[in-house]
Amino acid sequence: MSKEIQKKIKELVITKIEAHMPSNLKLSIGSYGALTKEEIIEHIEKEDEIGQQIVKAHMSFLKAVANGEFAKRMVSVENE
Amino acid sequence: MNKGIIITLPRSDYVTEYISQFSNGIIQEAIKKNIKIKELKDKKANRKEFEILVKSLDYRMIVFNGHGSDKSIEGHNEVLVECGVNDSILKERITYARSCNAGKVLGKVCMKDTKNGCFIGYELPFMFYVDKSWISTPKKDKIAPLFLEPSNLVPISLIKGNSASHAHENSKKQILKNINKVLRKGDEESFLFATALWNNYIGQVIYGNIESEL
Repeated sequence: MSKEIQKKIKELVITKIEAHMPSNLKLSIGSYGALTKEEIIEHIEKEDEIGQQIVKAHMSFLKAVANGEFAKRMVSVENE
Repeated sequence: MNKGIIITLPRSDYVTEYISQFSNGIIQEAIKKNIKIKELKDKKANRKEFEILVKSLDYRMIVFNGHGSDKSIEGHNEVLVECGVNDSILKERITYARSCNAGKVLGKVCMKDTKNGCFIGYELPFMFYVDKSWISTPKKDKIAPLFLEPSNLVPISLIKGNSASHAHENSKKQILKNINKVLRKGDEESFLFATALWNNYIGQVIYGNIESEL
């Protein structure tokens, strides 16, 4: 993947977090502790292990939405 | 092997404090069903005590709360089970590991050639959001249960007499229901919650004899 695309992906995830994460929330991810919005963004910017894990999670979700896997799974529980 | 559960409840940081406190539902369900449950709390969640209890009680099921890696599961600041060191103690037991990544290697390795053992865990980092207003009193947090209650359903379903396969599916189905719930609410944070729940959904794995029962 080109550096330009990686940069765009990073920007996309940061935009999503900036727009949707209220300041009262913290994200717990593995042994990295509970992270504030600012800490999450800092890790993504630095592209360290935590930052990469968070970007991966966001991209997996977006990919599942894009390829129809998410909709397929959601339909299975919609009427329950 | 005896019908019973060993549950680790470390509290070495906010993350382990949360997952341990939210394990109360598992403990209550076991008590309700008259199933013996041994709690390894705080510093008692160390390797020496864990190994002694596993051997002496010989309980069928182990529930781990704690940090993890591809090849290990921790207790209270200490590794409890590690690939190639003592993973064989899990071989014929039912294990549920609420630990990041341990499903990736350890889960597979400890279930190699098992007859009646089963391992349910995560091959990705387990993610959950918390409301920081309640970080010192996790039980009052209304956000964390969205992520932790579906994971509790693995041991709770097993305690209720279901197979490991059913417990695994039941838990995953509840994750999807919670995604549906948060997206329907349409709050500012819904999309982020759905992302973390989806991560736990795709990361939850099962190995060994999936028809195993407690």
